[in-house]
Amino acid sequence: MFSLPVLLYLSALLFSIGIYGVLARRNILVVLMSLELMLNAVNIALVGFGRVHALSTTSGEHSGQIFTLMVLAVAAAEAAIGLSLLLLIWRKWKTIDLRELCRLSG
Amino acid sequence: MSGWLEHLIFGILAASSVASSFLVVTRRNPIYSALFLIVMFSMVAGIFMLLDATFLGFMQLLVYAGAIMVLYLFVIMLINPRDDSLPEEGGFTEKTFAVGVALLVFSLLAFGISNSETVSTLAEAGTIPDLPEVAQTHGAIEAFGYELFHKHLLVFEVASILILVGIIGAVHIAMKNKPAPVELGANDEERLVNDV
Repeated sequence: MFSLPVLLYLSALLFSIGIYGVLARRNILVVLMSLELMLNAVNIALVGFGRVHALSTTSGEHSGQIFTLMVLAVAAAEAAIGLSLLLLIWRKWKTIDLRELCRLSG
Repeated sequence: MSGWLEHLIFGILAASSVASSFLVVTRRNPIYSALFLIVMFSMVAGIFMLLDATFLGFMQLLVYAGAIMVLYLFVIMLINPRDDSLPEEGGFTEKTFAVGVALLVFSLLAFGISNSETVSTLAEAGTIPDLPEVAQTHGAIEAFGYELFHKHLLVFEVASILILVGIIGAVHIAMKNKPAPVELGANDEERLVNDV
């Protein structure tokens, strides 16, 4: 088996790539996808920690995996809401450019 | 599974997940981003399975690579942005700023990982050892479901409420027969140009 730090570094790397996507891109679709990417990076860390934690318990513990399942549920809800907001924005203003939504700030 | 094979598979999965997530954030056309995101989710599902989280691996494939990405592709098809209507991407300063913040976050996380006592204690053996005999069912769907519905029932119910709220919210937000959308007046047009 590979070691835990390797997994955590992988998770941190994916998370930073997601941060780059959120900050640098102007396409709302890609920003939403980068958010999913970041959630997935966290999932890797959670499953890795849970796998190591299972070693120290007698019957195998699943807290890490249950956390991950909840993150999955949140991600699904987030995707649904985010994409419907995107559709609304597209219908009203015919744009998926974040920069053109500056007027939302009033 | 023998050690070196596991290492090899993990290396392939990790490398391709990093590569495809990099492609997700750099492709101009969102369809390519979505397709590379599917690749990335599948690779992460493989990593979950290597970590004895078989059920979660399949959930990842079903929910992420299946349901969520189909939703994304549907939306991309629905709004069907042509090449000329794709947003102008940020310039050099913006990208440098984003790279800087991402590097800063990564170095902070890496610093935390390399200095954490917990992680170093956990990683003392070098590699994650195989599970003991009593914990062999770890990650199997029966053991996972038993624990989810016995120890974490409330969390499960809260998640179901969250998803219900998400569904209702999404339907309400994206509903078509609502009061007429705000038309872009001449004033708005001008403000838009000034603001951008």
